[in-house]
Amino acid sequence: MATPGGPRSGNFPPNYNPNSLANNMQNLQINQPNQQQPNNAGGSAPRPPPNATPFGQQAPAFAGNRPGPPPPGVFPRAPVPPNAPAQTTLPPNMVSSRPAGPPPGSQPPTFSSRPPPPGAMPSSIGRPVSPTPPASGPRPGSYPSSPLTSAPSTPSHASASGPVSNGPPTFAPGMTQSGSSFPPAMGGMPRPLVGPPQPQAMLSSRPSSQPLQMRPSFGGPPTALSSASGQPTPPFSGLPRNMVPPMGSSPFSAPNTGMHQSINSPYGMQTWPAQPQQVTPPPPIPGPMQQPPRMFGMPPGGQSLPNQSMALNQTGQSKIDPNQIPRLSQSGSVIVHETRQGNQANPPPPATSDYIVKDTGNCSPRYLRCTINQVPLTVDLLSTSGMQLSLLVQPLALAHPSEEPIHVVDFGESGPVRCSRCKGYINPFVKFIDQGRRFICNLCGFTDETPRDYHCNLGPDGRRRDADERPELCRGTVEFIASKEYMVRDPMPAVFFFLIDVSMNAAQTGATAAACSAIKQVIADLPKGPRTMVGIATFDSTIHFYNLKRASQQPLMLIVPDVQDVYTPLESDVIVQFSECCEHLEMLLDNIPTMFESNRIADSALGAAVKAAFLAMKSTGGKLLVFQSVLPSAGIGSLSAREAEGRSNMSAGEKEAHKLLQPADKTLKTMAIELAEYQVCVDLFITSQMYVDIASLSVIPTTTGGQIYYYYPFSARSDPAKLYNDLRWNVTRPQGFEAVMRVRCSQGIEVQEYSGNFCKRIPTDVDLPAIDCDKTIMVSLKHDDKLQEGSECAFQCALLYTTVYGQRRIRVSTLSLPCTNMLSNLFRSADLDTQFACITKQAAIEIPSAPLAQVRDQATNVCINILYSYRKFCATVSSAGQLILPEALKMLPLYTLALLKSTGLRPDGRIDDRSVWINYVSALPTPLVIPLVYPRMIALHDLNEKEVDDSIIPVPIPLSSEHIAIDGIYLLENGVDCLIYLGDNVQPNILQQIFGISSLEDIPNQFILQQYENPLSKKLNDIVNEIRRQRCSYLRLRLCKKGDPSGMTFFSYLVEDKMASGFSYVEYLIHIHRQIQSKMA
Amino acid sequence: MTEFLDLELQDSVRMPWNVLPGTKAHAANCAIPIAAIYTPLKTLPEATPLLPYSPLRCRSCRSVINPFSIVDFSSVNKIWICSFCLQRNHFPPLYQSISEQNFPAELFPQYTTIEYETPAPQSQDKAQPGSSNVFLFVVDTCVIEEELGYLKSALLQVLGMVPENCLIGLITFGTYVHVHELGFGLIPKVHVFKGTKEVTKDQLLDQMGFFTKRPRPTTGVIAGVRDGLSQESVARFLLPASDCEFVLNSILEELQKDPWPVPSDQRAARCTGAALNLAAHLLGACVPGSGARIMAFLGGPSTEGPGAIVSKSLSEPLRSHKDLDKDSAPHYHKAVKFYEALSKQLVHQGHVLDIFACALDQVGVAELKVAVEKTGGLVVLAESFGHSVFKDSLRCIFQAGDHDLGLASNGIFEINCSKDIKIQGIIGPCASLDKKGPLCSETVIGQGNTTAWKLCGLDKNTSLCIIFDVAKKESPDIVSQSANNQFYFQFLTYYQHSNGQMRLRATTLSRRWVAGPGIKDELISGFDQEAAAVVMARQVSFKMETEAEFDPIRWLDKSLIHICTQFGEYQKDNPSSFGLSPRLSIFPQFMFHLRRSQFVQVFNNSPDETAYFRMILNRENVSNSVVMIQPSLISYAFNSGPEAALLDVVSIAADKILLLDSYFTIVVFHGASIAQWRKAGYHELPEHQAFSQLLQAPRSDTDAIIRERFPVPRLVICDQHGSQARFLLVKLNPSATYNSDTQAAPGGDIIFTDDVSFEVFSDHLQRLAVQ
Repeated sequence: MATPGGPRSGNFPPNYNPNSLANNMQNLQINQPNQQQPNNAGGSAPRPPPNATPFGQQAPAFAGNRPGPPPPGVFPRAPVPPNAPAQTTLPPNMVSSRPAGPPPGSQPPTFSSRPPPPGAMPSSIGRPVSPTPPASGPRPGSYPSSPLTSAPSTPSHASASGPVSNGPPTFAPGMTQSGSSFPPAMGGMPRPLVGPPQPQAMLSSRPSSQPLQMRPSFGGPPTALSSASGQPTPPFSGLPRNMVPPMGSSPFSAPNTGMHQSINSPYGMQTWPAQPQQVTPPPPIPGPMQQPPRMFGMPPGGQSLPNQSMALNQTGQSKIDPNQIPRLSQSGSVIVHETRQGNQANPPPPATSDYIVKDTGNCSPRYLRCTINQVPLTVDLLSTSGMQLSLLVQPLALAHPSEEPIHVVDFGESGPVRCSRCKGYINPFVKFIDQGRRFICNLCGFTDETPRDYHCNLGPDGRRRDADERPELCRGTVEFIASKEYMVRDPMPAVFFFLIDVSMNAAQTGATAAACSAIKQVIADLPKGPRTMVGIATFDSTIHFYNLKRASQQPLMLIVPDVQDVYTPLESDVIVQFSECCEHLEMLLDNIPTMFESNRIADSALGAAVKAAFLAMKSTGGKLLVFQSVLPSAGIGSLSAREAEGRSNMSAGEKEAHKLLQPADKTLKTMAIELAEYQVCVDLFITSQMYVDIASLSVIPTTTGGQIYYYYPFSARSDPAKLYNDLRWNVTRPQGFEAVMRVRCSQGIEVQEYSGNFCKRIPTDVDLPAIDCDKTIMVSLKHDDKLQEGSECAFQCALLYTTVYGQRRIRVSTLSLPCTNMLSNLFRSADLDTQFACITKQAAIEIPSAPLAQVRDQATNVCINILYSYRKFCATVSSAGQLILPEALKMLPLYTLALLKSTGLRPDGRIDDRSVWINYVSALPTPLVIPLVYPRMIALHDLNEKEVDDSIIPVPIPLSSEHIAIDGIYLLENGVDCLIYLGDNVQPNILQQIFGISSLEDIPNQFILQQYENPLSKKLNDIVNEIRRQRCSYLRLRLCKKGDPSGMTFFSYLVEDKMASGFSYVEYLIHIHRQIQSKMA
Repeated sequence: MTEFLDLELQDSVRMPWNVLPGTKAHAANCAIPIAAIYTPLKTLPEATPLLPYSPLRCRSCRSVINPFSIVDFSSVNKIWICSFCLQRNHFPPLYQSISEQNFPAELFPQYTTIEYETPAPQSQDKAQPGSSNVFLFVVDTCVIEEELGYLKSALLQVLGMVPENCLIGLITFGTYVHVHELGFGLIPKVHVFKGTKEVTKDQLLDQMGFFTKRPRPTTGVIAGVRDGLSQESVARFLLPASDCEFVLNSILEELQKDPWPVPSDQRAARCTGAALNLAAHLLGACVPGSGARIMAFLGGPSTEGPGAIVSKSLSEPLRSHKDLDKDSAPHYHKAVKFYEALSKQLVHQGHVLDIFACALDQVGVAELKVAVEKTGGLVVLAESFGHSVFKDSLRCIFQAGDHDLGLASNGIFEINCSKDIKIQGIIGPCASLDKKGPLCSETVIGQGNTTAWKLCGLDKNTSLCIIFDVAKKESPDIVSQSANNQFYFQFLTYYQHSNGQMRLRATTLSRRWVAGPGIKDELISGFDQEAAAVVMARQVSFKMETEAEFDPIRWLDKSLIHICTQFGEYQKDNPSSFGLSPRLSIFPQFMFHLRRSQFVQVFNNSPDETAYFRMILNRENVSNSVVMIQPSLISYAFNSGPEAALLDVVSIAADKILLLDSYFTIVVFHGASIAQWRKAGYHELPEHQAFSQLLQAPRSDTDAIIRERFPVPRLVICDQHGSQARFLLVKLNPSATYNSDTQAAPGGDIIFTDDVSFEVFSDHLQRLAVQ
């Protein structure tokens, strides 16, 4: 224990120690089958090259590619680079060398050899597989070793193949190569063959990675998947090819072919259900049964917990092996996750991983995720742990295309069955008693009469006999058709109002033209039908509306000159049914840039324009999409360039610096609340080249459920494509209007606060003028009582909303988690992604209201407190010199460090950038939080040298400048920006191939990715497209070169380096360690 | 009578007293004030030359040289003596050659009224569009589609008639005010202003982007191209007719009814006040000081914003005379105050407000009156935009030729008079310029307390009623002074002629005054009954509007009795002995009809109508005004030509056609037999050509009347016993009523009224006069 080496080989399976190489080995083996299968799968799944570029290089192209309701296809849950680690690490020959069968065999041994880490937490623990060290040493395994992901990945790998094959069709583009490489294998493919091998693979892997519990969950599905993969193919293939959206259902609903409910489901995911039979049977793999018990049956603290321990010598960092320290590793394989198994909640896979959910009672972790997957019985226990209890709710999250669509349940006039006391909705955890005549609410414990027509007898197991046929009794997430009593008015139409800045700056920088062109292309993608209404207005120091409903004539421009007291010039005809004004609108959009080309009005009355547009939309509500280019300087809510003022008296105002991150005054907030009240959601597209006071402006989108898109500095050359794609996703993604959300919890827990982009009028509800698949709300919870030992604690999120097609629905997601009174369980079931997301979001909330240093300290303290608690109460005795991390949270220090160096918490940096960051984070879905602070970096220069396999995206490189070669080209992306860094000595021929330039001097300032006729360029394009798909974001591409400011930007993302704004990773670990030690003392 | 008409022909002036009571006391005894009804732009006799130079002015009183000036040809430096202040003035070198045989036109005795045209500097100015005429149409869109259609076609027609160099602008309004930007080529563009809000000129300048191309001047008043605005920013809104015809046509054709929904229990939201306010600001910003007219086409009452006359709720009725009397019209005073402010602004800018009120309901003419009258605007009241009263009147304004209105703009009217005469004020379409001086009387009526007035708009018919005071006190030496018993008056009118030139018309009058006992006959000899009636009418109208608790009947009767007592021949207390000089004989009749006229009897009219009638009365000349007071009645029969008939119910006969001209309405009344024959179609038969001619005769006369009149009168063609016959009956002297002793002659008619007949009236008058 005392020695660094000890822990590794000994008690704890540290992933990062050299031994972990074994993991690689495992992975490799495990991957093997995948690789084969993928082939089949790949083949079977026709990956139609056509839609290869959902994210076209040039905006138009994009549009062109996907005519109709592509949205689904465009950003579907990306299939994640399958078995990424394997590929990178493994030489191609591996594949060949490995026959499909062997892996299973080989694995078991490892398993056996390894003392099954008892309560070992899922992945990470499983993975460590210290026993198998011998294997391939080449890769230090630093990346592949990633705790959570890798282990699961193994099994999932197998599965991955399945999903991947499924996936491709949907997002074929990226997959093209793979598709092409195995063209022969069409359709049917030797599915059967595929199936079998997998289970084995799974098995083998599972054992190896002791987290047996996990395995099952993952293991089972994969098989299913793989088997399923054959079938799904058709639907998939159909989808991309035809592009035909099932009528009525949202664009996202893929081919419904095989699906029972898909028709109802708004965003019907595709396929999974296609072969339910096949799928379900496999799961009952040996594993599942045994595992669950293990998981929760953890012996008390005495037991060794999965830890990551590290010898840290205070005296010097030199002793630390950089390769030992915990790092994130991306696992490319797809995990299949059953939400409940054996009537136990199944801890979800990491949010950042690629997984397919099978809803077996609990809702998918995409919709609800808890920071800890076991609920502490008492508040004391929770506070001792240093962790927080929060939920991250993303009610309309995009599901994986292979997942079963959400069931839609219609209770008719009477509406869904609800508890008469707490108004909770019927869910699988409601207990029916008394022959089914009554039921006990799992949230408040009240006993209700079962409505007569809902009555059903109970089976011998105490369940209702119809439980399996009724989605609301067997699924964690269902949608109810809302009855009349849920409507205060008729469901609102889908209203899209575009508001464009045409002031001098906007016109001259091309922002106006870009906005018009983007809108013009996007209007074709608006939901079709009579309920879609559009309106448009432009503004400078006055507001210009357009009457689009004029039979024969041109649109009429109506100018509202009074920007202090605004009004809408017409009640009707400003917002018109889309079908009635399509031509006028297009013509107008063509004309607007010309009309204002020589506009000399520099003032921009944003606040007034928003207000005026609001007045026009007041009767219906809807989405207001605002394109703004300068600091609003006129009319209601005009702002001053206070950043400059702040800078000039910096010394005096240092302490007040954060005030600049607060809204300048209450005007916009008041307005925003009014907007929200009338169900108007505002999205701001800032195409600026200067300070625009985002801190003040962001109040509007934040309060109305919208978001900010920030293009700074706006470039008329490279940004329009992103603008277009952002806008397109904005209007086409799954979304709902006039929504109200409430989270209910079991007795003993209550909601303390909601945070995110919404309007809060009463404490219990969240008002969302609009909600879409990308919006996440953080719900912090608190104990108001002690929970019952042995019970489960349920959380139910109910979202009442109107679909774009005008249906009123209630989406109810229920998550029931076990309760525990053991600290070790809390640590074991901690969810890193969720916890870190919460930490980040909280930091974002605090930044405007507290001095930066305080916020930074706070973030570090959270990390320290958790680790300290673990160290003090859970870790077995170890030397003082050792830093011991809970396995589940071992990445916490790195992420916290990255957070400190993020745009939001970095002490330097522009005010606006920070405001944008705060705004972005506040509604950010869990899976995107970690990439935001800890971006993914990959090498591009050696793409050609790597074997072509399933994974499109190469293995990520740690964010440390050690890994940057002077002749390399690297791509770094965080879900928003994408930087391509060119080393000084890049080979000219590579430059030529990728960028079409011959030397570094020719690098353009404004970069547009183009595809040239060579494999390298093609690969790069595929990679970028794949990333875009994964992130549901088009990404701002920028070229960076050493010595340029752009190069500085790039290096500022290398968070493991020591930089002005903070420690290097190693230093930070030491810092934390010291803090813990001092606390211990 | 004819001598007065001759005088009018020469000097465009009628005075009740052409021989003036020379002292204050005498004047007070006359009951009717010394007054003049002057028509500044009345067409002059053809021979009158237009003098192409500036007039000579007196050094001290600034009056213009005139035929009454005494010229001393003898002295070396020729000298003229001002008739008003007796100042001796030298002639300028140019006049050195004058002699008794050779003197300029302005000294010719027959040219007491003459015009000067100031040439050079103005003509350059004219090249600028700013100084040509500007028409800003302000169009109400809160009307039903049908009305809007009529209005559109009327406007489209007018567009074709507007002279090419005139500037045109367009504002439409309903719930909001739409200022159309005609100079924006790409798509139709309007600036929309809230109807509930009064915008200031500065706000308008800012909000309509007048300073985007050129920075706003930091100091001074912004006024047009000369002061602060760029030509192009003005040209966005006001364009030469030739340039914007196409755009305007398309806008008008596309013009929609105000789109804001109107609940069934409410009136449309109509913001007339805000629209006019904006129009005034727009003109004030773009073309201050040059002739511009705001032509407002109103289709209903203003219900929103400043100048609203009624609330939107239909449960609140429009104000009636009764409400106004009881002061229970909640919006009235506010609205009037608003329009007063508007009128001040317009007068300041020199712009005119014309009102075309076309609705069955009232639109607020009563409130708007002040603004129209002070700016010398035109007003037309009709039932519908489709009615000929509106359509033809509108066309009149733009027509060229003999019957054009002779519209002129930017007039300034000044009076000089002998020092014993003071000016009380003017009742008529003008606004005081507040130029106080020794000539101002302490008693003020109408636009007083000044010797100069602004006439933003004036035309051939515009007639001002100027009321004077005699200041001279009775004194012993007064009679002896008879050597100089002339009063002089000089009326100077500067104006912009419709051709763009600035002109000055000078009228100089001389009237003899008398004083001392025994002047009665002399005064009677100079008494102009018609002028007197008109002065009384204007006075009584004015007093009814301005004096609370004013009893017009009592006031008129008192005045009449006073006159009769003063000037009648009678033995005291013997009514039958009463007699009046022919000079005075029909004056009581005028008064009788005036008492019954719409100016005094407001009972059956809405405040809008009353305001309308009075506005016309206040701007028309004497002969037209007399027709308003006592309509003319012409009778047509088979055996005689058209002859004037007694305005009495006895004139009605079955076999006659009567033509009643009450100015606002022309009634062609077919006797019962005539009507039957006509219905039988006899006039279409060749053998009854005479009948056809008989039918035609009144129509031809009607057409002639209509052609000359603005606003075009309403034509009513009716038959005896028909419902429309009431238009005739109401004007007739009810000598035969349902309870009178005399039976109607066969074929005649009776009137169902309790009004007293003229006989009863004059009986009473005689009785009272002799007491």
